[in-house]
Amino acid sequence: MMMRFLRMPHVGRFFSSVAVVAIIAVVTGPPGSTATPTAGFTGSFTEKTSFFGLFATARYLEFFVFVLLLFGAWTLWVSRGEQLKAVTSKALGAPRAVAQHKPVKWGLRLLLVVVAIVLPHIVTDPFWQAAMVEQLAIFVLLALGLNVVVGFAGLLDLGFVAFYAIGAYVTAWVTGALPTPAPFGIHLNTFYAIPIAIVIVMIAGVLLGTPTLRLRGDYLAIVTLGFGEIITIFANNLYGITGGSEGTNAIPHFSFHAGFLKYVWGLGPVPYYYLTLLFVVIFILAFSLLEHSRVGRAWTAIREDEVAAESIGINPLKYKVMAFAIGAASAGFAGVITAGQTVFVSPATFTLPVSINILVLVIFGGMGSIAGVVLGALVIQTFSMYLIHTPPAGYQPSDLYIYVGALLVIMMIFRPAGLVPSRRRKREIGMAEAGEGHMDELLTGDTP
Amino acid sequence: MCSRPLGFGLQFLTGTNLGEALGAFGHYLTSHFATLRLEFWGLLVGGIATGFIYGMVAIGYTLVYGVLRLINFAHSEIFMSGGFASYFLLKAVVGNSLPSGWASIGLIALGVLAGGTAGAVMAIALERVAYRPLRRRNAPKLAYLISAIGASYFMFNLAGKEFGRYNISMPQIYIDHPVFTIFGAPVQMYYLVILIAGLIMLIGLDRLVATSKLGRSIRAVAQDAETASLMGVNIDRTIVLTFILGGALGGAAGFLFSLGSGVVYTMGFTPALKAFTAAVLGGIGNLRGAVIGGLLLGVAESFSIAFVQAAYFDVVAFGILVLVLLVRPTGILGERLGRSA
Amino acid sequence: MSDDRIFDVQNVTLRFGGVVSLNDVSLHQDRGEILAVIGPNGAGKTSLFNSLTGVYQPQEGVITFVGRDGKPISIIGKKPHKVSGAGVARTFQASRMFSALTTFENVKIGAESHRGFGAVGAMVKGPVTRRGERASDAKTVELLDFVGLRAKANTLSASLSYGDRRRLEIARGLATNPQVLLLDEPAAGTNPSEKLGLANLIRKVRDDMGVSILLIEHDMKLVMSLAERLYVLNFGSVIAQGTPAEVRSNPDVIEAYLGSSAEEMEGQT
Repeated sequence: MMMRFLRMPHVGRFFSSVAVVAIIAVVTGPPGSTATPTAGFTGSFTEKTSFFGLFATARYLEFFVFVLLLFGAWTLWVSRGEQLKAVTSKALGAPRAVAQHKPVKWGLRLLLVVVAIVLPHIVTDPFWQAAMVEQLAIFVLLALGLNVVVGFAGLLDLGFVAFYAIGAYVTAWVTGALPTPAPFGIHLNTFYAIPIAIVIVMIAGVLLGTPTLRLRGDYLAIVTLGFGEIITIFANNLYGITGGSEGTNAIPHFSFHAGFLKYVWGLGPVPYYYLTLLFVVIFILAFSLLEHSRVGRAWTAIREDEVAAESIGINPLKYKVMAFAIGAASAGFAGVITAGQTVFVSPATFTLPVSINILVLVIFGGMGSIAGVVLGALVIQTFSMYLIHTPPAGYQPSDLYIYVGALLVIMMIFRPAGLVPSRRRKREIGMAEAGEGHMDELLTGDTP
Repeated sequence: MCSRPLGFGLQFLTGTNLGEALGAFGHYLTSHFATLRLEFWGLLVGGIATGFIYGMVAIGYTLVYGVLRLINFAHSEIFMSGGFASYFLLKAVVGNSLPSGWASIGLIALGVLAGGTAGAVMAIALERVAYRPLRRRNAPKLAYLISAIGASYFMFNLAGKEFGRYNISMPQIYIDHPVFTIFGAPVQMYYLVILIAGLIMLIGLDRLVATSKLGRSIRAVAQDAETASLMGVNIDRTIVLTFILGGALGGAAGFLFSLGSGVVYTMGFTPALKAFTAAVLGGIGNLRGAVIGGLLLGVAESFSIAFVQAAYFDVVAFGILVLVLLVRPTGILGERLGRSA
Repeated sequence: MSDDRIFDVQNVTLRFGGVVSLNDVSLHQDRGEILAVIGPNGAGKTSLFNSLTGVYQPQEGVITFVGRDGKPISIIGKKPHKVSGAGVARTFQASRMFSALTTFENVKIGAESHRGFGAVGAMVKGPVTRRGERASDAKTVELLDFVGLRAKANTLSASLSYGDRRRLEIARGLATNPQVLLLDEPAAGTNPSEKLGLANLIRKVRDDMGVSILLIEHDMKLVMSLAERLYVLNFGSVIAQGTPAEVRSNPDVIEAYLGSSAEEMEGQT
């Protein structure tokens, strides 16, 4: 009797709504502590709040309203969802068709670049100006790089931050900021660190990739995770080489001297914003050309069916290592910019959660879709900066990962191809779900 | 304990000439092997105890791998939940008293029970939320990995928010003292607790999987899920029960681990990474292999203290993992939950 | 004759654990020949293909392939992509196309897989890359014309019919400039008219492109009409060889095909 009651779709939906809203309440609620482990949970419901700024009340009232809203929306979706989908796709059909025209497409892109260029003159709050470089532009770069690895080549890399770290530390090294002497005792201009760091990071990618990329997908994920951890452990403990946990703060700013032309990127974030923006545009162009090139097609082939790809002469290991090295290059570059801008490098910047953070940008935006990844990075990083700018009571920076973790699960359940799905990726997921294709053998097949 | 830094080991790299460098390296090896000889039995006992914990967690990986053919990335948080649940329960029961004798044994059993229950409950929740919807859609494996990573991040950071982010030590529920000595090495009560509790649970699980109806269905699903379902095995139920078994063992291991190292929201990460190494070492999907892998890894790690700083322990474990994956990815006993369990 | 061999397989044995999949198999193929390997299910036909293309590594024996330049090379120990580079192309029993890509892209991947590296070239889209793209496009169009899929160039390969998938796989294989094309049950799952078209296509591949054909097939009618010579495998061993007429009258073969397949064979006589 009880079970039958619970199995009724409306009842199940109602209890699921309660559970979902309860989780949201706890996630957004006040923190607890070791001494009062239940305070956070109870406070999530009893705490006083203002009801959408209208009148003072307690959270549980909001809770009930949200449960009802969710239940209603869900029920509506179940009964009218298909109609709703049809209406929206019809409404979006015309603008989508217009956006497909080449001149319109390029016009829109140009518009975005113009907006990006004038943005620092609209947003003048120093907090947001700094965030635009350190948290947005840099993470767009990182996400673009990880997208090559995860999105294009289909390799789950959980230690991507290691390449970011190597880029930053190499910058510190060649500019003479580390305890260990710079190569040949020459302290280079920070700009020269860019090619050096990129080359070294790519070599690191090849060195890590060549043995490990033969492994099955899930093993690769663990090995890269360990690699990321090990880089941090070494950075933390090799005092004589890396400066240990304090790192170094003696990296010179970027500067440019050519005859009478002289420019030094100082402490302000805006010059760095333009510098990074320039490279973001370059990386976007380069990676989209790459996606639609022979290399991009070979990656797709390997991702979908490694055996078939090999049978027509594609060397999977070679292309996977290539993806690793190219992805690493952009992370290494991001490392140089970070080091040059903050003049400071320490292991705390390059922890595992940062790797996960970058992964979330890629997953949320859409694996393999450059536009998606950029959008995903902008949305999530803005959100995380907003939480730091105007934190809820008791907010800690690592609370962000509660949201981020939940987002990963939600995306995988409801929209695995991401916000702006890549066309190829979306088809592949659909095919894997229909039991077609051989994509999964990458992850489950026995290692030879 | 010996705490010679790895930095010493690395000095030979920066030595001025080759002869000097080799000399330094030779000295490094001999002096450290001497330490190892002196403390052999003590390190061995400690290593076996740690190995039991790794083995218990590794079984969770292996069981889930057996039925779903994927690595449960969120297993670390099941381990953590065992630590927290047992901490809060024991704190409430013990208060500020200092139990001993039978009371201690009862409290240890209570802790194992609390940890195991919490682990099982978390495992059920995890299966329902992060895995089942994907299974319904027949999603690609990459989706499961990502979903599990997300669940893991959600769980441990939420724990950090709700229960504080500082390491807290377990209430003292027994008096830790050397119970007896083996070849002059004292064996601490803590190690005995782990050995006895671990042994009971591992033998229980082994019998359960080998003889019970549940065990048979787990093995059937592990061998061939499609055929098993045709033979009338309820796949969903079997998968949930597998998560429960692995979760209970993982949660209990979380309690045993916290007895020595305390409770903190990030406590799952490193032991779980090592347990995963143990599972691969023993051959993923192989129950006894997981325990043997755990013991080997525990002992290897314990001995490595004679050579490297504690900070580099994870590097050693990780090095072993990469080596195993590259040289013998099927592990020592091979991957075969179906036949050998 | 023996100077012009393209494949020479000598005493090849392949085991998986205790199971012997190929047992002391010796066979050869002449350049320009349409050769077939037949045998009941589980006789080791696909294992043979996998050994010839580097997917499996037999424990014993020698497999020699004579490539474009007339120099013999040993296949065992080579990775599949190297074997492909030497001039061996293949199709799979259950078609394995890149199903999220179009017909055109599928073939193009084959056409460009043996060109140089070019990641940097691709990112700046230099003249070499442009030239390479144009050459691959031209070749792809030519091959799609050849197999009769030009009209479906922009169709997603997953939505092609079985027969068209086979044609696509053949075109993709041919795009790698092979000396020999290995076809694993090309007629499986196709209807009679598609079958006829495939047989004609296979003959055309040999006649017009000079590519040798090695095929595994269950459909006796197709084998007997196409193959110039054939080998019969049973339980991993070669039990007979010769022209279709010789094999048909071989008592060992009739024995191996006892049951429905035997009737099928007799139906041909």
